[in-house]
Formats: sequence, C-alpha cells, structure tokens
Amino acid sequence: MPASAGIGLRAPHHLELLRQPPRVAWLEAHSENYFADGGAHVECLMRLRERYPLSLHGVGASVGSTDPWDREHLRKLARAIARFEPQLVSEHLSFSSVGGTFANDLLPLPYTEEAVRHASDRIRELQDHLGRQILIENVSSYVRFADSTLSEWEFVAAVAAESGCGILLDLNNIYVAAMNHGFECRDYLAAMPVGAVQELHLAGHSRVEIQGQALLVDTHGAPVCEDVWALYGAALARFGALPTLIEWDTQLPTLAVLEAEALKADALREACDAAAA
Amino acid sequence: MPPLRELQNELLEAVCAVDGAAARPAAAPRVAVPPRIVPAHGLLVYRANVRANFLDSLHSSFPALWRLVGEEYFRQLAREFQRVHPSRSGDLLHVGAPFPAFVAERHRGGGYDYLGDVARFEWLCQEALLASDHAPLDLERLRSVAPADYDALRFELHPGLRLFASPYPVRRIWEVNVTGEDSPEIVDLDAGGESLALLAPQLELKFHDLSAGEFAFFESLRGGAAFGPAIEAASARDDAFDAVAALQRAVGAAIIVDFVNPGA
Repeated sequence: MPASAGIGLRAPHHLELLRQPPRVAWLEAHSENYFADGGAHVECLMRLRERYPLSLHGVGASVGSTDPWDREHLRKLARAIARFEPQLVSEHLSFSSVGGTFANDLLPLPYTEEAVRHASDRIRELQDHLGRQILIENVSSYVRFADSTLSEWEFVAAVAAESGCGILLDLNNIYVAAMNHGFECRDYLAAMPVGAVQELHLAGHSRVEIQGQALLVDTHGAPVCEDVWALYGAALARFGALPTLIEWDTQLPTLAVLEAEALKADALREACDAAAA
Repeated sequence: MPPLRELQNELLEAVCAVDGAAARPAAAPRVAVPPRIVPAHGLLVYRANVRANFLDSLHSSFPALWRLVGEEYFRQLAREFQRVHPSRSGDLLHVGAPFPAFVAERHRGGGYDYLGDVARFEWLCQEALLASDHAPLDLERLRSVAPADYDALRFELHPGLRLFASPYPVRRIWEVNVTGEDSPEIVDLDAGGESLALLAPQLELKFHDLSAGEFAFFESLRGGAAFGPAIEAASARDDAFDAVAALQRAVGAAIIVDFVNPGA
C-alpha cells in the first residue's frame, strides 16, 4: 500500500470515480458495502480495484463482542477479501453486539485486563480465519466505563502486542476522545508502538451541544480540523510516512473536495520528509 | 469488577433502548462519569447513531414507501419496526427483510393495504439488484435435447429472479414514486393488479408481466419441479398456458439460465 493519501470509497462517487479517476493513491471501501453476491456495487469495486490499491475496512464484525462470531459475516468478509484482494484489511477495536442484537455502531470496550485478553483472543481468531494480519482501529467514544483500569492508549497497545495485529490509528478519533474525556493526544501517540501502526485515518467531526454542554461527535462530515492536521504532523514525525486515509461519510462532498484533502495530506507529508532530510 | 459481558450488556441495552430510560445515567450505572461528559449525553449520541443507521438502511431499501407515506410517518414506522425487529447482523443491508410483512400487518384492513405490497416489491427489487448474475442459456444445448427427455428437464432460474403478485398496480405506484418528480401522477388503486417476474441481468432491473400460467410455471420451477410437472401446474392455473412460448420468453429474458437433463 502506498505510504501516501487515499480516500474512502462511497457509493455516490462510484460512477464519477470510474469516469474521471482522481489523483489519489488508493481507496478504502467499507467491507460490508460489498458483501452482496453481485450487483452494481460489487461490479464497480471490481473495476476500481484494477486501477487503485485497495483497503477493506470493516465496521460490522463486532470484534470485541462476547458473543460467538457471526459465521455468515465472517464468510462474506473472507469472500470479499478473496474477490477484491485488498492490500490492507482492518476492523475496529470495539463491540457492536451482545445477545445477537446489533447496535450497528462502534461501542467502546472497558479498558481492563480482561478486555485486553478477550479482544486479543478474538483478533487472533479472526486473523487465523482470514489467514492474514488485520489492522485494528481505535474508535471515538462518548462514554467510558467506571471499571476501566487502563488508559485507552495502554489498552490499544496491549491488544496489538498480545494479538499480533497492526494498528490503524485514527487521529480524528484520538482527538475526539481526548476532547471528550480530557486527555492529551500526544500521550496517546507516544504510547503507540512504531512498526505496529500501519495506516492513519483523517476525518472531520462536529461539535454538538446538549443542554449547554459541548461534546465532539465523530461525524465524518467536515474537513479535517487544524488540530488534527497538527496531530498528523506529529504522527508523521513519530511513525514516518504511512498510508493515510481521508474519511468522509455524512454530507458527502464532491470527489474534488476529497482529492484536495488528500493532496493536502500528501503536501504535509512531503514537507515533513524535506524537514527530516 | 463485573465481567466484560455484563458491561457490554449494560451499554448495549442503554444505547438500543427505544424508550426514554437510556437517557438517564441510572440506566447504565457502570458507564463512567468522565470529567467532561455527562454520560446521559454520551448515550444520546450512540442512541442517535443506532436509530439513524437503522433508518438510513430502511430508507435506502424502501425509497418509494418513504415518499408515499412521508418522512414523518416513515420514521415512526421505522422506530416501531426497530423495537420489534432490532438488527441481528453487522451488515445493515438485511435489516429490512421483515419490514414488508411488518408494514402489511400494520395496515391490514384499512385503506392502505397496498403499502405492504409496495414494501414487498421494493425489497424484491433490492434482492434482484444484489444477486449474482448468470450467463444466458446456451440454446444449442437445449435444442440438442431428445424430446423424450423434455418432461424430466430441470431448469435453473436466474439467481436474481423474484416473482411478485399483488391485487394493486404496485409497479406503477413504485415507478411514480422513485422518479423524484414533485407532482407524480395519481395512480388509480383499482386499476388492477399484476403478476411480475423481476430480475436484473447485467445490472439493469427488468420487469416482465406474467400470465397466471407463467407465474405458476416459474413458481413450480423455483420449487424444484421438472419441466413436465411445472407445465401441469401452469395448465391447471391457466387453460391457455403455452409451454413453448413461455420457455422461449424465459430464455430470452434470462429468467431461465441453465438446465440439467437427467436423461442424458
């Protein structure tokens, strides 16, 4: 996977991507969006796959859940990997289901030794099932568990070390969680093992007020904010150049806007390279 | 410290609760009181996501129904549906599968019986569009079958073939509601029903009006019947059923895509 900027693949952009391919280094698709037996989306990704390196990014495997695996989901994930041959495969370090009911959202785990062991076991199982290493992404969060005994960064690093997975570090998620829960982003970055981090995510968030109290929500519906760009600079300094994704899901702009954000990420990376040289 | 599963149950129940209870921190006592967030507010963000993701999936599966009943009522239906049929998969694409039956049951006997049929039609369209495609039938192979083997032939239908019948002009209702016009034409509910085959060979949704005999014929084939018994089933439903014409039409429309000849 090129150590430069790619963009998230979203269905409204499918046709334009085929007609006028933008100058981005790679694409990341949500795995579940291409789980169908056939159809236009699957066909489109098969064609885009010929032009761009690809990452498959899952949102629904519920990796941290204490439920048994959804075998049908795993079968479809394995089929998507066989079909599209992605360079990278990633999931989230979270859970979204218990007792067979799915929230279809990324819920945080308690940061405990038990959860480290459980998540690590599950990631190892998933990697064994898929026959490859996966990357695991840190999530945004709006609640925490009183029972947590570790910091979020200790938790992420411990799971990566114990399971042997790579880390997809979402810098906007770090920022959102830091603002909501009150920690320093740089403490988080400093705890991430160099070498394990193989991909970065950049995205926008929203500030919402509920009864006069502000919190940040990871909406993926806005440009990357200046603080997160600064965090990107710090991440480049620590980890070196990495595949970096511009993620946008709500209030989806034109491809040109995504391309411009990707070019900005590339320019920042080149400036860091030049400064280091 | 409570086990991980207990903590997961508590958080999931709090964010998936459809009544107001989850807005109170007492509903999830182990969700921490962080320095900067009131837990109830954090739970509200998750609850909004859970509802929005579910609603978005239903909206994309049932755009004509959304337009027919309006956003406000669709949202209400979706919320009631989610309470009875919460998502059971990490892939939201299938969350709408029980929705047509739910909509039908909800409107049974009133003046809005057709809404369930519209939902069922939209779901079948989605299924057809997401099915794998299949190469057309090799006619030369079919021509080479000995007449004595005809009755035992087992035809394979296109993986995306769906059969649809309704006493209402559902296809027309659907068409005027997915075109996005501001003032769609008024469809006469009493204009008559329809029987359709729908499928999407080469990614394009196609509809084929079926006679009662053809409908019974494809239904029989789909149920695993061989050619001979399927003709009998079709003829029992429709005196005028013409098996050769039906077969030609089905092959031309890619409804029938392959066959096995047990006699060969």
